[in-house]
Amino acid sequence: MLKLKLEALGHPTPNNIAFSNRKEFASTVLWLEDQTIRLYPIEGRDTMRNLEDMPAWEEGYKQYCTDLSMPPFETQLEQLTWLVGNAMRLEFLDNPSQYESINGVTEGQPKNNGAQSQEKVQTIFDGKINVHDKDFIAGVRTLATKLQVPHHPNHLLQLQAITRIVHERIGPASMNRKAITGTPFPFDKGNDVVAANDPALDYPMRILRLLQIQSLRQLQTHINETIVAVQSLTANPKTDTKLGKVGR
Amino acid sequence: MVVRPYSEELKYLEKINDHCWRIKKGFQPNMNVEGVFYVNSRLEQLILDELKNSCRPGAIGGFLPGVKQIANVAALPGIVGRSIGLPDIHSGYGFAIGNMAAFDMDDPLSVVSPGGVGFDINCGVRLLRTNLYEKDVQPIKEQLAQSLFDHIPVGVGSKGVIPMNARDLEEALEMGMDWSLREGYAWAEDKEHCEEYGRMLSADPGKVSMRAKKRGLPQLGTLGAGNHYAEIQVVDEIYDKWSASKMGIEEKGQVVVMIHSGSRGFGHQVATDALVEMEKAMKRDQIETNDRQLACARINSVEGQNYLKAMAAAANFAWVNRSSMTFLTRQAFAKMFNTTPDDLDMHVIYDVSHNIAKVENHIVDGKERKLLVHRKGSTRAFPPHHPLIPVDYQLTGQPVLVGGTMGTCSYVLTGTERGMQETFGSTCHGAGRALSRSKSRRNLDYKEVLDKLEQIGIAIRVASPKLVMEEAPEAYKDVTDVVDTCHAAGISKKCIKMRPIAVIKG
Repeated sequence: MLKLKLEALGHPTPNNIAFSNRKEFASTVLWLEDQTIRLYPIEGRDTMRNLEDMPAWEEGYKQYCTDLSMPPFETQLEQLTWLVGNAMRLEFLDNPSQYESINGVTEGQPKNNGAQSQEKVQTIFDGKINVHDKDFIAGVRTLATKLQVPHHPNHLLQLQAITRIVHERIGPASMNRKAITGTPFPFDKGNDVVAANDPALDYPMRILRLLQIQSLRQLQTHINETIVAVQSLTANPKTDTKLGKVGR
Repeated sequence: MVVRPYSEELKYLEKINDHCWRIKKGFQPNMNVEGVFYVNSRLEQLILDELKNSCRPGAIGGFLPGVKQIANVAALPGIVGRSIGLPDIHSGYGFAIGNMAAFDMDDPLSVVSPGGVGFDINCGVRLLRTNLYEKDVQPIKEQLAQSLFDHIPVGVGSKGVIPMNARDLEEALEMGMDWSLREGYAWAEDKEHCEEYGRMLSADPGKVSMRAKKRGLPQLGTLGAGNHYAEIQVVDEIYDKWSASKMGIEEKGQVVVMIHSGSRGFGHQVATDALVEMEKAMKRDQIETNDRQLACARINSVEGQNYLKAMAAAANFAWVNRSSMTFLTRQAFAKMFNTTPDDLDMHVIYDVSHNIAKVENHIVDGKERKLLVHRKGSTRAFPPHHPLIPVDYQLTGQPVLVGGTMGTCSYVLTGTERGMQETFGSTCHGAGRALSRSKSRRNLDYKEVLDKLEQIGIAIRVASPKLVMEEAPEAYKDVTDVVDTCHAAGISKKCIKMRPIAVIKG
């Protein structure tokens, strides 16, 4: 996936990067800053450009991460993924109209998740909390780090993810929930092949589908519970064997 | 009808692969699209023999051969894709039984035909599971069969045990299974595991004749006669362990109950009324068909709409009917085992309709189109992740219930992506007749048929034993051949095989 993204950004040799090599990592970071991110002016990139003096580079990189407000990641692969994602976002924002033809019917309308979640959060807090307040954002970010929720540029979406984790794993209701019994089935072995030769597409698709099925199941369970509740008022099944007649 | 020698007719048929034949345009006049049918080598012989017999000089009367009927359907206005014959195909009124055809809803000339649905509207199969095993049931199967026979009214002229008045019927026709739920005859989970959630919203009881309602009222909650039955079956083979476990079938020997029934005299009357009405509409709109039995009307005409609304009401009738019999079955089992249906885990695995027309969206030539899909003797078989199948089967594909004949086996299949592309998500529905009813009455003896069943250890209760030879296994194609063909052609996938241990029948 990372390689695909680098290729899309125009990296000259996306297939030949050894991500574990610190030096190659450094040069990739530099390339991203030079080509797309451009956080610093050109003359400000000198420390990062000096790949011969790695200790100095590390120093500069640390500052760079803070300046980009990159969330604390552990591995350099995670950091690089975030940087590439960030670069792609900037590239897109430079000229969104250029990509207009891609949304539409063929690709499925991209939902304005940001606005939706903002509305949702606002109604929950009843407008009493400014969700764009710096402290609020910082609070969400800290919570996310504690619960190991992956970073997202929109803190409200991240808050939604946190809600889900609290709901599923930490809340009192989930504590008392019985463990699901049954035979587990490897989810990548079903009849429903998405893209047999492209794991980068197949894997996330399956995960998304499972999430969709899970929320559908919740909805259906709610529906069933409602029906049962109504049945307690209306149901009165009767049979009258006198009416019955077995034919010839 | 074009009369040609058999050798000439064969020139219009082409074998595409081991399981599929093409019917070229020109086989019957005015074909808008090509026809296709799925068979293996044994079923192929039956179909071709039928055609050969009809080509003999002087052969007259009876239904047209199945292949001719497929081709006549291909000549109806507005048909899309291909006219498709499933492996269990046999001649029927207008459309062959086992023929499916889709019509473009956006084409003003497209038609709906009652012959493409059949007289027993929303005839279908429902499968209940239990947590019992063969060893629990085998010693008391005679009593259990008797208990079922006592609970479920069967046979021609039978009457239901659920008290209903005319107003109840009106409500049931409009609400379908929601009526059964409201009154407490069904469980909430039953609705979830039923095609269309057990209710067609387009139903309008106002479009149904008084006569149909009068016929239907006393028959609600009865099994009926003919090929309808309730069977206690045991799981004989599991081909797809994972899909089976999603349906609550864990091991061989598990006991299930299959109910095969439809809309009784009600649906028959709705179809008859519509045929009369449509004949006039055909003259008015100058619709030409190759066969008088293919009476039809434009979907958007008053007659077309009236039929679709009345058909939906009949479909709702059938779901209420099957739900009522599910209720009675649960009672019979609960009494027998001195427990509750809940404790016996008597959930509905699924409920399929194999005589129905529905509006569905399909991809045709790369574009999504709204179609009116006629399935007569053909079961819907949607692939995994289709939005119209229950959430529990999103990963496995829709369960397809294929009832065998008395004394043979039944199958559960699952829908596939390939079926969606090739047959508008449709597959076979049962064994399919090989001998006509009258022919089986002439050729077979009812005592022999019953003795044979007893010999293989099947408890049987029949309301009218003299009609039993119409339904003898010998009168039907081999259901295993039919199912294997569907599996091999990829239009559905084998999941479970069941064999009966007790049968009750009309």
